Amino acid sequence: MNEKKKKRVVRALLYLFMIICIIVSFAPILWMSVSAFKPEGEILSYPPQWIPLHPTWSNFAYVLKNFNFARWTFNSVFAALMATIIVILIDSLAAFAFSKMKFRGSKTLYAIILSMLMVPIQVTIVPLYLMFADVNLLNTITALILPTTGNVTGVFILTNFFRSVPENLLDAAIVDGAGSFRIWWSIMLPLARPSISAVAIITFMSNWTNFLWPLISVSSDASRTLPVGIAQFFGGQSGVSGSAPQYGPAMAAALMATLPAIAIFLFLQRYFVKGVMMTGIKG
Amino acid sequence: MSLTKWNIVGQAKFVGLQNFIDLFRDTNFTRSLVNTLYFMFLTVPALVIGGLLIAMLVDQSLKGRVVTRTLVFMPYVIMSTVVGVIWLWILDARFGILNYYLSFLGIRPIAWLSSVNWAMPAVAIATIWWTIGFNMILFLAGLQDIPNELKEAARIDGASSWQVFWSITFPLLSPTMIVVVMLTLINTFQVFAQVYVMTGGGPAMATLTVVQYMYVQSFQYYRLGYGSAIAYVVFIFLIAFILLERKLLKRSGDLN
Repeated sequence: MNEKKKKRVVRALLYLFMIICIIVSFAPILWMSVSAFKPEGEILSYPPQWIPLHPTWSNFAYVLKNFNFARWTFNSVFAALMATIIVILIDSLAAFAFSKMKFRGSKTLYAIILSMLMVPIQVTIVPLYLMFADVNLLNTITALILPTTGNVTGVFILTNFFRSVPENLLDAAIVDGAGSFRIWWSIMLPLARPSISAVAIITFMSNWTNFLWPLISVSSDASRTLPVGIAQFFGGQSGVSGSAPQYGPAMAAALMATLPAIAIFLFLQRYFVKGVMMTGIKG
Repeated sequence: MSLTKWNIVGQAKFVGLQNFIDLFRDTNFTRSLVNTLYFMFLTVPALVIGGLLIAMLVDQSLKGRVVTRTLVFMPYVIMSTVVGVIWLWILDARFGILNYYLSFLGIRPIAWLSSVNWAMPAVAIATIWWTIGFNMILFLAGLQDIPNELKEAARIDGASSWQVFWSITFPLLSPTMIVVVMLTLINTFQVFAQVYVMTGGGPAMATLTVVQYMYVQSFQYYRLGYGSAIAYVVFIFLIAFILLERKLLKRSGDLN
């Protein structure tokens, strides 16, 4: 009897812990969403209201009218998509070469590429800036795409995967007259779909949330990305007039920037989890 | 580049190790280093232990574990600067909800972001909320790799849950643990966006971090040589973390 009682108490405590986790994780997101719909007079009401009395779209309208929000969103999405496509093409080709072809210096080259896993972007950012300044690419979307395409993690993950593809599968294809390019496109890429999805998600997300490099490399509003625009116009340190941030529009902007990511996450959760696990393995 | 004096216009001038010498005499740099380490002290244990506890929770066969896992991970997909903006609002000294709910516990309103003492904990809270789901997923993967038979066998031999954890789960989890700790160290050492949005390094440089100082020196004062020297210090720290990780992983691999 005692044992049973103890078990029940433990279970209750576990559920309590679970509820706390859920509330703490979700309340800030909910509060952001609620605040985004509050009119100007209501947002600073105290005590805080979880349900807006007079819900309104005015904050969204204000953001879209006064800031180049649509443009920032387009830049962010476009840069992240392009970077992802380029990374997948380059990384899968490189991984195919490293795993299935024998050529001079392949091991050395692979070792050099892997050692680049250890170099974080912060370290290379000053030289990178000068290089882009030299070729007049600062303030362009190219500047937002190019640096993230040197993605070593993807090469590593895909090389590991391709190594597990049995050789006789490739031999059969060669006998049937397929060239290397054909093998890469019609055998390797389809087989690696789960790994590629994970790499794609890692790449897309890291480009999508990238902050330091876009902050430095782009100063014109036309090529600004979402994270930078939000930081500069809704963050605490600048604000349009240098005054305290206007929370209503800030939350509307935050919500618009967040919803697509959360939607993608909910649909592709499996691949997110896989992507995270793979970043863990690389270390 | 770290060996040159260079402010974008004009030629780089070779100055040998002067930048590094200046760096270690620069009290602002030392300050930023100490601040960063303080930030790590506030976040790393919480992120690692908290991440493990939540992973163990959602590893149990409880109702709602999938929902919990999803919701705990969800903040991680939000952009860092948006995280900063959300928490600016939550932590607002006069109208923020956190102070409101703390008042029920008898805690007076805290001027989170404008107080020298509370600004760094505020940034730490936002960061923990943002990234703890990442660690949870890594731990969960580690936990699920541990064969259930081992735990069952120990339980049949009469081991309590506590004993099972300390003598089976924990040792077998150590490679995951090392990876998680190192990734957390590496990421928290490079903290920048949250600080940029929430405090801008203030008040009175209480939240100035190393990467932020590098940004300020390189791209606000355009002292590129000096900024590169700071980048080198960052690099050395990160390499040290990574080498330590390799070594520990190798050792734990030998043990198993």
